[in-house]
Amino acid sequence: MELVIGGRAQGKLEYAKKNMANQNYKVLDGQDVDFSKDYGEESLILNHFHLFIRKRIKEGGNPEKEIKDFISKHKNLIIISDEIGNGIVPIDSFERDYRERTGRLLIELAKEADKVTRVFCGIGQVIK
Amino acid sequence: MVTLIIGGSGSGKSAYAEEYICKKAGKNSKYYIATMKATDKESKDRIEKHRNMRKDKCFITIERPVNIGGLAREDLADSSYALLECMSNLVANEMFLDSEPKPAATVVEQIVKDIKALASKLDSLVIVSNNIFEDGIEYDHYSMEYIRALGLINQKLSDMAEEVIEVVVGLPVKIK
Repeated sequence: MELVIGGRAQGKLEYAKKNMANQNYKVLDGQDVDFSKDYGEESLILNHFHLFIRKRIKEGGNPEKEIKDFISKHKNLIIISDEIGNGIVPIDSFERDYRERTGRLLIELAKEADKVTRVFCGIGQVIK
Repeated sequence: MVTLIIGGSGSGKSAYAEEYICKKAGKNSKYYIATMKATDKESKDRIEKHRNMRKDKCFITIERPVNIGGLAREDLADSSYALLECMSNLVANEMFLDSEPKPAATVVEQIVKDIKALASKLDSLVIVSNNIFEDGIEYDHYSMEYIRALGLINQKLSDMAEEVIEVVVGLPVKIK
């Protein structure tokens, strides 16, 4: 599994696509991804992962467990997430919880990842 | 050549960019293309603070809140070095110039064209931009369009730049 992180509008998806070893891949979107679907052996990019976390927290799901189960079925998954932690602490408790859980989960995924890339102004810096 | 210098607010990117271009230009004079509009006391104070910061550094200031592509060779006759401070103001000024804000795509196309035109008239153009992309907050439609426009412009600038430097706590981190 690989992780690609970076701020909004930095060109993360374009970067990930350009660097895919296999040009046959499918892009899933965190906003509407369905992990119960069978994707077989396809190469997968999971874009907007932060929005998946946000949605599943709202729905009372367990995004931490769900993504780990999904990764165990798709070992070559590339996960793309926005960096959302570099701002002031939100007043709203949901927003605080979302930001904190996203940060913590990304740390865990980064530990497991074979490679972590930060994309800034369209340029990738491999940080692990 | 184009250099992109980018950092968060209060990162020291402006001071670093001034130092950077001074080193590059040596004894030559250099332009300071200021994009901030002096509309209220806060912006006037900010402009004054930046003027003071650079007062001993031999800059020729050109105030240019929009249409930097319109700067002619005659306007740039005294130096081939320029520091553009900063892209985040320029994007806001271009986007919200008329009563109806322009879409991100239009602003990106316009500014990239303007920067290419400006850079072609100079030996060295140093552009300061802002990292406003990492707070994860969902703003209103126009703010999101603005963030998108600045993000895309930064990507295109970094692509054409020979050097991209992120400034963190006043220290330069080389990105490209």
